[in-house]
Amino acid sequence: MAITILPPAPAYLEPQDDISSDDSDVDGGVDLEGNSGMRPSKRARHSSDQELVTPGEIVTDDPQWMRGHGTYVAPSTTEIVATVAGTVQRTNKLLSVRPLRARYTPEIGDLVVGRIVEVQSKRWRVDVGAPVLASLPLSAINLPGGILRKRTETDELQIRTFFSEGDLLVAEVQSLYADGSASLHTRSLKYGKLRNGVFMSVSGTGGGGGVVRSRRQVWTIDTVHGGGKVDVILGVNGYIWISKHIEVVGGDTAITRIEESVSSTVYSSQNDEIAPETRREVSRIRGVIEILVQEGLRVDEDMVMKGYEAAVEVDSENQGESNAYLGGEAVVPGAVDMEIAKQEGEELKNVKRA
Amino acid sequence: MAPSSTQQVLLSPAELSYLHTSLSLDPPVRPDARTSSQFRPLIAETDILPGTNGSARICFADGTEAIVGIKAEVEKSRPSYQASADRNVAEDDDDEEDEETRRDEQLAKEKKGLNEWVEMSVEIPSFRDDDSMPVFMAAMLSEALLADGAFTNKLWINRRFHWKLYLDILLLSQPLSYPLPLLSLTTHLALLSTRLPRLKSEEDEDPLFDDDWAASVFLYPRTQSLIRPPVTLLVMSVGNNIIFDPTKEELAVAESVLAVSVGERPQEKSQGDMDVDSGKPARDLRLLAIRTIDPPSRLTPAGVPNTLNTATGGTAAGTTEQASSKRETMEEEGVWQPPRGGAKRKLIAAMIQAVLARGGVAEEVLDGLDAVELG
Amino acid sequence: MPLDTSTYSLALLRLDGRRWNELRRLTAQISTQAAADGSSYLEMGNTKVICTVTGPAEGKRTGGAGTGGGNEAEVRVEIGIAGFSGVDRKRRGRNDKRISEMQTTISNTFASSLFTHLYPHSTININIHILSQDGSLLAACLNASTLALIDAGIPMRNYICACTAGSTSSHSANDEAADPLLDLNNLEEQELPFLTVATVGESDEVAVLVLETRVQMGRLEGMLAVGVDGCKQVREILDGVVRRRGKRILESAAV
Repeated sequence: MAITILPPAPAYLEPQDDISSDDSDVDGGVDLEGNSGMRPSKRARHSSDQELVTPGEIVTDDPQWMRGHGTYVAPSTTEIVATVAGTVQRTNKLLSVRPLRARYTPEIGDLVVGRIVEVQSKRWRVDVGAPVLASLPLSAINLPGGILRKRTETDELQIRTFFSEGDLLVAEVQSLYADGSASLHTRSLKYGKLRNGVFMSVSGTGGGGGVVRSRRQVWTIDTVHGGGKVDVILGVNGYIWISKHIEVVGGDTAITRIEESVSSTVYSSQNDEIAPETRREVSRIRGVIEILVQEGLRVDEDMVMKGYEAAVEVDSENQGESNAYLGGEAVVPGAVDMEIAKQEGEELKNVKRA
Repeated sequence: MAPSSTQQVLLSPAELSYLHTSLSLDPPVRPDARTSSQFRPLIAETDILPGTNGSARICFADGTEAIVGIKAEVEKSRPSYQASADRNVAEDDDDEEDEETRRDEQLAKEKKGLNEWVEMSVEIPSFRDDDSMPVFMAAMLSEALLADGAFTNKLWINRRFHWKLYLDILLLSQPLSYPLPLLSLTTHLALLSTRLPRLKSEEDEDPLFDDDWAASVFLYPRTQSLIRPPVTLLVMSVGNNIIFDPTKEELAVAESVLAVSVGERPQEKSQGDMDVDSGKPARDLRLLAIRTIDPPSRLTPAGVPNTLNTATGGTAAGTTEQASSKRETMEEEGVWQPPRGGAKRKLIAAMIQAVLARGGVAEEVLDGLDAVELG
Repeated sequence: MPLDTSTYSLALLRLDGRRWNELRRLTAQISTQAAADGSSYLEMGNTKVICTVTGPAEGKRTGGAGTGGGNEAEVRVEIGIAGFSGVDRKRRGRNDKRISEMQTTISNTFASSLFTHLYPHSTININIHILSQDGSLLAACLNASTLALIDAGIPMRNYICACTAGSTSSHSANDEAADPLLDLNNLEEQELPFLTVATVGESDEVAVLVLETRVQMGRLEGMLAVGVDGCKQVREILDGVVRRRGKRILESAAV
């Protein structure tokens, strides 16, 4: 079926026993629940240990706590009041509230994928999905010709040859300015301009779903059907890059030589030859991440790999109709769900046995 | 007309080149692995606003949503229209023989509606009412609706009064991708669900309607020979591939984009045809309008091949003339070039064919919308 | 006129069967639009309002918002009243005075309620669409905006909860026994004096007070008290919506 039209998810109704009457569902009530996460979870999770607070709620009035993000201290009291709706995090003496859903806030050391929106005289302004644009100074990038090359005026004049408006790059947050904006750097072989792949953005970091900070944000997948190796970069800011893996030339040559041999392609805007099978697998991985977001699951290496394996399973089960598209029928996300649950169930069993 | 909103889609030359190459393969590999004629799932519901005659809401998978509300008000017909009708009656008395035929003709003519009885307004957030985008959308949607000339006849009450139909189309989210298909599908659904109160008065007296809303009549009666409102789809092409329901990234690399409006032709009842298909009435689709849309791809910056890129060890062109001449002659794989030139005639014909063919895309869309439960 | 019914004089029941201190059915949903940073849908009786919030994002006009926008985020509000929202279809231009005033009121309210100094030189855009109006328009917009801002995760001091309160004083003109009324619908708003009041959370602090009709001074305090009480009820309902959604998110997210 080329087009699938779904009915709206029913509005979540809880039996209310106070003023508001209960015939709200039928007459003229608009069921405007968004697409995300309406299906009841098949995974049993204990959520009762997460304390949910809403804005204006007093978290504690114990003076020993220091206030962190998402809270404020009412003047002339020792009460710590929540300013966002979210869960309470207590670490040592710091009390903070992690919002359920919020724009990305940069932290030092985050690996982010960003897009250049503005080129200024000695730096670039980069969109990382944060409230304020991040900046990438000219002094913070690797210049071709070796790391120790001095920055000259010609570099400033030719600043656009490195990064131009619209270019995508992967970088690390070096420091934060007073207004909370990030200063990025790409001083490493693994950072730089991105090519040979597709971009996608995942919104809503925070309490549920979205990209989470984990051990490995960048890894390579060995894809099936002759797709070869595919790199996945999960930016903590919710921007994701999936591309064909390019072998880094040179195994154990001297550091300076590696710099020189690699940097010739670092600022290239030209794609390499990419086989159709690889492109299909890239699309499949993209679809997997979309489903993870839709179901409100966290997006990290673990879940993406499980999802990918599940997607390949589901695909092979549809004999003949090998279509990598995962959004087509409502059945398919459910199937992927069950696969993930199956694999997680096995993992849990292994953990319990251990 | 270059839709300025889609310029907000910033993509790097490397991404554009990747997308373009992927879409020119045979079969095309779309970023979400759909087939070329597969639509993304959408959520649709009707009759959400009890204060209107008809309403619908559609939510696309990329988060864009639109609401359409239709209200109808009784309006007095203009006297000149009335006078011409009277004049026809006066002439009738002269000729005796053709009186019968002329009266039949006249009755048929009398029920003619006027295009001004339909008023459509499109509201897009952060656009003023006189900006080109909303005006263009409204023009295209109303053009498709009024193209067959028969729609306004439904609004005729009697010779002195008619229904004035107001279609208010609201785009609720930011226009991330060209909103035309979303607005068109929502309008289609809203029109399908529109009901008008049942007329109780007779002839030309002041109209009196039945207070019972359950007795109201559908604007598009749900009979076997149902002629449904038109629908407008967006079709794009890359190389020799024809792609439906493009996302904003796909639009950014399109070589040509068409907005195709499709309507239904009133069916001629021929017994032979009906028996062939197993129960499903054959649809007779016809093309109402085609508009070419300037793809945003033309405004994208070109990529710089490695040989011209100083950062990759190449030598940059000395002057701008050298640079542009080098770009013209070079056709390197992997470097993005904004598409130039128009679309081939054969390709456009193929696109229209894909839309209109029996079992083609338009039929599937119309069937899908039909299945949406009304009210 | 709305109170000239026999049921009012006998049983003190209004046209829709409510007593003087009863709120209309208030339902809301949060996070209704996936593409926006924050969104909500709110119904107060037959008044239906959709609100979407974008931001905080870097303001496009860095020059214009130089002075005030330098240290704080700017809150921009845009209200669109749909043509089909009233009983008669009426097209309202964006430059309508009434709409401009509502926009400014909402913008000023949230500029002081949100922690704007956390997002210097950026803009928070609030887009409100009114699908159906039946009284309490400003109140519904304020409530919907509060929910959408919470959904977007923008820190604020407390809920801003609003509702309307009126007086039967024009009906019983010289009567000392003029009752205050809570949550007026369109018909009542056209005939009776009323005000819109918004409070900060559970407290009695008033954030917004708009009175555009004439009323005797003596009645004002009663109306205000009833309004503030109504706002507290509204806060309970809004808080419930946010908590339910939060619980659902936490339950479905993998730990």
